[in-house]
Amino acid sequence: MTITEDVAILPEGIAWGLLIAFSILWVFLGWFLGRKNKTAEDHMLAGRNVGLALATATAMATWVTANTTMTAPQLALQLGVWGMFGYSLGALGLILFAPLAKRIRELMPHGFTSGDFIRLRFGKFTWRVFLVVSLIYAFGWLVSLAMAGGVLINALSGIDYRVGMTIILAVCVLYTLLGGLRAVIGTDFVQTIIIILGVAFIAWLTIDKVGFEAIHFNLMEERPELLNLLFPAAIMFLFNNLLFGVGEIFHSNVWWSRAFAFGRSVGFRAYLLAGLLWLPIPIVAGFIALATPALGINVPVADMVGPLVAAEVLGLTGAIVVFIVVFAALASSLDSLLAATSDLVTRDIYRGHIRKSASQHEQFRATKVIVVLLGLLTWAAASYRGELPIIGSLAAVLYFTGAFVASAIWPVVAGLYWRRANPTGAALSMIAGTTLGLVSYFVIGFYVAALVGAAVSLAVLVLFTWIAPRDFDWRSLAEAEPRGTAGATGGVR
Amino acid sequence: MTISVGALGTIVVIATSVATLAPILLITLFVHDWKRGRLW
Repeated sequence: MTITEDVAILPEGIAWGLLIAFSILWVFLGWFLGRKNKTAEDHMLAGRNVGLALATATAMATWVTANTTMTAPQLALQLGVWGMFGYSLGALGLILFAPLAKRIRELMPHGFTSGDFIRLRFGKFTWRVFLVVSLIYAFGWLVSLAMAGGVLINALSGIDYRVGMTIILAVCVLYTLLGGLRAVIGTDFVQTIIIILGVAFIAWLTIDKVGFEAIHFNLMEERPELLNLLFPAAIMFLFNNLLFGVGEIFHSNVWWSRAFAFGRSVGFRAYLLAGLLWLPIPIVAGFIALATPALGINVPVADMVGPLVAAEVLGLTGAIVVFIVVFAALASSLDSLLAATSDLVTRDIYRGHIRKSASQHEQFRATKVIVVLLGLLTWAAASYRGELPIIGSLAAVLYFTGAFVASAIWPVVAGLYWRRANPTGAALSMIAGTTLGLVSYFVIGFYVAALVGAAVSLAVLVLFTWIAPRDFDWRSLAEAEPRGTAGATGGVR
Repeated sequence: MTISVGALGTIVVIATSVATLAPILLITLFVHDWKRGRLW
């Protein structure tokens, strides 16, 4: 579905002005913050001493994606109050990762990626299975974010979907390329402030202009199931989303690279605080969609509901605010994902499989080339929105990856805390969990994929470890790569 | 079982209030870290 220019809410000239202004701002900040990066470690981990304020903001900004600001309203419209409450449970992923971040930093003071951990903890076979799971998820998320960019710009301004998507992707690739993780974290702080203020502003005005009584009354008249606290699919979604969020954070290098980059005493506090502050945001964003019946808005495509309601309530101001908010949300997640995925590909594919003796300088260069390649691949996939069976709405793309990420939860947790966890069991738990999770996605629905993936993965891992427990020396994780000798040791162990 | 207008309103108002206070907290933390040279 494409919005034509004559029904767009934001005049095209203003949309272009905002796009250009914020693009320049993000690219300048990226260049400014990353100008002193000299090594792969600077570029990938921002010096490993990020403070609490920037650490909390980057965790929040990365987790407040376009999927939060656009999919939360979409889910509220489809699944009602449980849709928005369920989405907010994604905060538990951040909160539960807080102790893991502390342990990761302690066990691997010189680690770079989540792949480093899996390789050292479970060996090469499990490592390769994990890389497949992690890269499919990362790519799915990248495509869903790029799609969100195109959808937003099209919904608000009528600018062609592919043009908007291309601009947002190109801007994020450029400033990630220039500044690495330091640029990503620095821009994330500014973006977090913009996003939260914008979402709260729209919610307060929706409350003021429409009111709870009118919203509740119209929902009861037109869509009473959205207010039903016993909506079965929605309750299933709630648990599914909880596991999906936990799986996304526990396995993804986006969060592991931050655990390595935050100062020694910062990781636990930053993730905990970020989770607590993130918790209300999907409720606030989702609530906006519940005003649709009261406002009499015709929503052409579910994932456009957030921008359309904001523009209806606030007119041109609303359209501008939501445009800036979602652009910031998109950029804050796209940059993080581009940086973390390029790190994973550089360390675990390029250095781990292709050029095992790669020096710091060669890795530094490879990271930059890989950011560009990732951007091009994402662009190619997102260009075909709606033209391939599984690349449909934002939620469809996002939850397709649920089976993959949920199956990685238990191998990661067991790897960090369970000395006797069986490495083969860890690999097979990801394979079986992903396979059955995908089957359930297609046979039952998107809202059970993560649930099934996590349950199967847990059963397989526990069974294998019960039959054949293995021993492990935690100290071997700390020996991953002494600081400053990257590449000098001649490859991976 | 339907959520009441009061319950819906209370949850949304609390969530929006926390969201409104979050940027203030983050900026306060930023200034705190900056003054102590602990931003990076």
